[in-house]
Parts: sequence; C-alpha cells; structure tokens
Amino acid sequence: MTTLEGLAHGLTVALQPSVLIYSLFGALLGTLVGVLPGIGAMAAITLLLPITYYISSEAALVMLAAVYYGAQYGGAVASILLRLPGTPQSAVTTLDGYPMAQQGRAGVALFTAMVSSFAGSMLGIVILVALAGVLGRLATSFGAAEYAAMMVMGLVAASTIGEGRPAKSLSMVVLGVLLGCVGTDVNSGVQRFTFGQVQLLDGINLVALAMGLFGLAEVIGNIRKAERDGPPPHVSLRQLVPSRDDLRRIVAPIGRGTALGGFFGALPGTGSTISSFLGYALERRVARQPERFGQGAIEGIAGPEAANNSAAITAFVPTLTLGIPGDPIMALMLGALVIHGIQPGPMMLEAHPDMFWGLVVSFGIGNLFLLALNLPLIGIWVSMLRIPFRWLYPAIIVFVCLGVYSVRGSTFDIVMVAGIGAIGYALAVAAFSPALLLLGFVLGPLIETNLRRALLVSRGDLMTFVERPVACGFVIATVLLLALPLLKGLRRNGG
Amino acid sequence: MRRDLHDAAWGGVLALVGLAVAAWAAAYYDFGGLRRMGPGFFPVVLGLILAALGLLVAVPALGRPGMSRHFAWPETVGVVGALLVFGLLLNRAGLVPTTALTVLIASAVAPRRGIVWRLVLTIAVTALTWVLFIGGLDMPIPAWPRSF
Repeated sequence: MTTLEGLAHGLTVALQPSVLIYSLFGALLGTLVGVLPGIGAMAAITLLLPITYYISSEAALVMLAAVYYGAQYGGAVASILLRLPGTPQSAVTTLDGYPMAQQGRAGVALFTAMVSSFAGSMLGIVILVALAGVLGRLATSFGAAEYAAMMVMGLVAASTIGEGRPAKSLSMVVLGVLLGCVGTDVNSGVQRFTFGQVQLLDGINLVALAMGLFGLAEVIGNIRKAERDGPPPHVSLRQLVPSRDDLRRIVAPIGRGTALGGFFGALPGTGSTISSFLGYALERRVARQPERFGQGAIEGIAGPEAANNSAAITAFVPTLTLGIPGDPIMALMLGALVIHGIQPGPMMLEAHPDMFWGLVVSFGIGNLFLLALNLPLIGIWVSMLRIPFRWLYPAIIVFVCLGVYSVRGSTFDIVMVAGIGAIGYALAVAAFSPALLLLGFVLGPLIETNLRRALLVSRGDLMTFVERPVACGFVIATVLLLALPLLKGLRRNGG
Repeated sequence: MRRDLHDAAWGGVLALVGLAVAAWAAAYYDFGGLRRMGPGFFPVVLGLILAALGLLVAVPALGRPGMSRHFAWPETVGVVGALLVFGLLLNRAGLVPTTALTVLIASAVAPRRGIVWRLVLTIAVTALTWVLFIGGLDMPIPAWPRSF
C-alpha cells in the first residue's frame, strides 16, 4: 500500500461516524482535562480505558490518542492564565506565557500556543508517516535479540535522560518489571507471586495499576494544590489577534520545535515533556536577546508548544511499528491495543492497515477540529478554570471505582487501586517516578519473552548480543546511557 | 543538617523488596540457565538489581541534606478511605447509597469546610452516576440494597 492509498484508506476509516464521534469526544475531553489543573491526560486516558473494552479497536485508539493531543492544547490555557501547568508538557509554557498574560497579552499567548500546537501536530503527522514506513521495513529484520536489547535501551534512556536521580528512576523501572512478573508465566505455566490469589492469575490488571498510580495519586496530591485564589483574567476573541510582528516571530520557532519534538518523540524513552523543555532551551540559545526569555518572549511559547505536539504524534512511531512504547501514555495505548488483540510491531502496517492509517488520518481530523473549535471557544475553556477542584475530585473518585469495577466486575480490584494509589502518591512525594514504574510494567513481560527466545536461539550464548550488529548497537547505546550520569557526577565533583 | 530521609528510607525499602523477591523466587521457582531460563531467572536477577539500586539510592542519601516534603496525610486517608468504602459496600448496599457515602467521605478532606456544598455535590454526583451507569450503560449493579 503506498502512502497515498494508505491515507485514502485511513480517510474511509476515520470518517466512519462512530470513529469520528469518538475522535471529537476525545479531543474535547482532552482539552478539558488539559485546561483543568489537577487532572492530566494520563489520568483521563486511564479513566477511559475501561470504555475501550466496549467499542471497536479503531474507535478506542482514536479516542485515546485524541485525549492525548487534545490535552497538549488545553494544557497551555492554565499555564498562561494562572501559571498552573494543566499538564507536565505545558510547564515550560508558564515561563513566558504567564508574563505575557500579566502584560495584558494573554490572548496573543493563547493564540500562539494553539497555532504552534496545530502546526507541530500537522508536521508531526508527516514525520510519523515517513518514519513509520522506514522503521517498519527496518524492523522486519529484527529478531528477539534486537527487540530485547532495544526495549532495555528504551527503559534505560527513559530513566537517565529524564529528570531526577538516575538510580531512583532505574529502581522504579525495575520495580515495574518485577510487578509485571506477577501472574502465570507464559513460558512455563508456573504461577509467580500470586500467593494463591485467583484474581492475580492473569497478573496485575493494567487498568487498576494505572488508575492507582495516576488517577488516584494525582487526585490526592492536587486536592490542596489545585485550589487557588482569584478568578482567571477575561479573554475576548479580539485579544487573540496577533500583530504582524508576533506572527513573524513565531514561524521559525515552530519549525525548530516541530523538528526537535518529532525527533525526540520518536525515540523510545523520551517523550513530549522532555521535548517541550528542550524546545525552550533551544529557543533561548538561538535567540538574539536571550534575556527576553522569562519576560514574555513569544518564541518561548511557540517553540515548546510545537515541540510537545509534534512529539505527541511521533511517539506513535515506536509504539506502532516496533511495539515499544516510549512513554507511559504510549504504554497505555499499547495496553489498549493488546486488549483488542492487536500486537503492534513491524507487521502492523500490513496486518492492521485500518488501525494504522485510520489513526494517522484521525490525527489530522482531530487537530483541525481542535484548532477550529478551540479558538472560538476559548472563553468557555477559560471559564472552566473557575470550577474549583473540590467540585471535581469526588466525582473522579467515583468514576475511578466504577471504571475499575466495570473491567471484570471485581470489587477486589477497587481495593487494590486504593492500595496502589496510596503507594503511588507516597512514591511521587519522594520524587520517585510512577510513570517509569508503569513503563517497566508494560515492557517487562515483553523483554522477558524476547530475552528468553534470543538466548534459546543462541543456545545460551550471551555473545549473540554483541555479534548481531543491530543488537550490539543497542547494547552500546545502553551502556553509554548508563555511563552518562556517572560522568556527569564525576565532572560535578571534580570541578 | 536534615538528612535526605525520604530517599534513605525508600532506598532501604526498595532494597528489602528486591532481596525478598529474589529470595522468594530462588526458593520456589526453577532458576534454569541462560540456555533455557526458568520462571525464577528473571525475578531473581531483577530482584538483586533492585536491591543494588535501592542501596545506591539509600547510601548517598544518608550523607546529604534533604528537603522535607509535604505529605498530604488527611487527603490520602480520605481518598483511600472513600475507595475502600466503595469497594466493600458496592455489592452489599447498592450503587446509590455507596456513591453518596463515597462522595461524602472524599469531600470531607477538601480545603473548604461546610456541609451544604458537600450535600449538593453528593446529590449531583449520585444522580449523575445513576443516570450514566444504571440508566445509560445498564451496568449489572443493584442500585439499592437488596432488601429494598
């Protein structure tokens, strides 16, 4: 199938009324949770996971994806108007967005965020289509050794590149992998760590784990934090109109941000949050007057917003073509695909063209929809900021309970979510990343299976990871990634 | 100097968890070999790695100052309690009383005191839940206690 045929095919999938409705619903819900501080895309996608059991696989993925990129749009609103990032990706947008709002240019800042997000997404789709084909062809030559090595590299990259102490991040990944071991071992049929509990035979439920770690832990942490004083400023449609000078300033940052985000989004282990931070750093570096940053520089909004949206789209490249999620949100997407019996991988384009191309085209439609609706509706989104979190979180808790319960009618799972939520919150307070735990949980079983297979093929010879050039490349990259924090530490102590 | 007790404590806990997992797996599951890994191989190796990482987190933390972090105890208790009540009550009391009680418990830890707004919220959320899950999705849960 050529790209054009694929897109045409995707159009027939994405324009099915049911898929279209779920796409629009997801985009709106994503914007809403992005706008509201205290609940992010991760929590919203988790809450929607149970629904995906009841709808078609295309509609399910299209909806979840729309929540993800929709939240990237919405996140900017609270960042700019209240200096409260609605999503982690939009945290950098506060740096120059809030000063702009204080200077009475909130409308222009919002316009910039929306337009940059749109441009970043659309160009991200082009990168996605280009990369997916190449990577898919490349990955057909991958064996179990390559997969195992690549997934380990992804996990190590996610722990050492991100923020926080690498040892803490790695410990979360390993804990996640160990949690993934719970249940019946597929290779031997042995029940591991089930302690006689029938409910654990299939392993720990992904929905329960994600809801506890994100839905619940976020709610606990935000009950007090998301409560603030003073209403947000009023934004009228006329204020959105940028000057010619503003427009001239944002074009180049959008281009740079998109390229940067497209690259880092597609790498396993780095995602849209890192991309937006890097996008900001890049803009400040290339700026002629870097001192304007932090004082309301419009480039400081355009670059990162384009970067995180572009990354949110290209993050689907490794997820769909290799079956390897690069960030926890993609891990949930992978989980949703597996629920529907679709194992992503190099054969994805051939085996499930409906899913792949439908998703690609729905990205375009969803983003068009977001741009067309969000600018005129900006007043409504701003007024959403007036809803105090205390009116929302009790309802969220009830929906968490019913969502978990609906998966398999088990109240045991609700009690488990309560426990996981408490642990997840405690970990988050101590700056251990629950997101990495989830990533390890999803990738762990895949790594174990591939590692076993690779060593079975090589008759237990570990040299297989050195002799196969591609696998060797991943191993070298992993070692370098592990050495990186060590070197940084040495330099800090030495100088 | 205030030591980084969070990292020290958590590192210690993680190290212990790792050791326990490795020991359990070594005792009960076949380790196998590189050529044919048994079900115990992965948990044993990773348990030991986790133990090492836990120490790597804990030991340096003892020698550096840490910041005290705010732990929202009342909120944690309220939210976890609300979930436990929901889980334990749902099959016995039915959806409507369970939801109402859950919302009342959860909202008790909100920064705003007072009972009126909480009652309004309770009625609203309970009604919404009933309409969505019993009326709309027709979930097989009793709405009221069985004796009704």
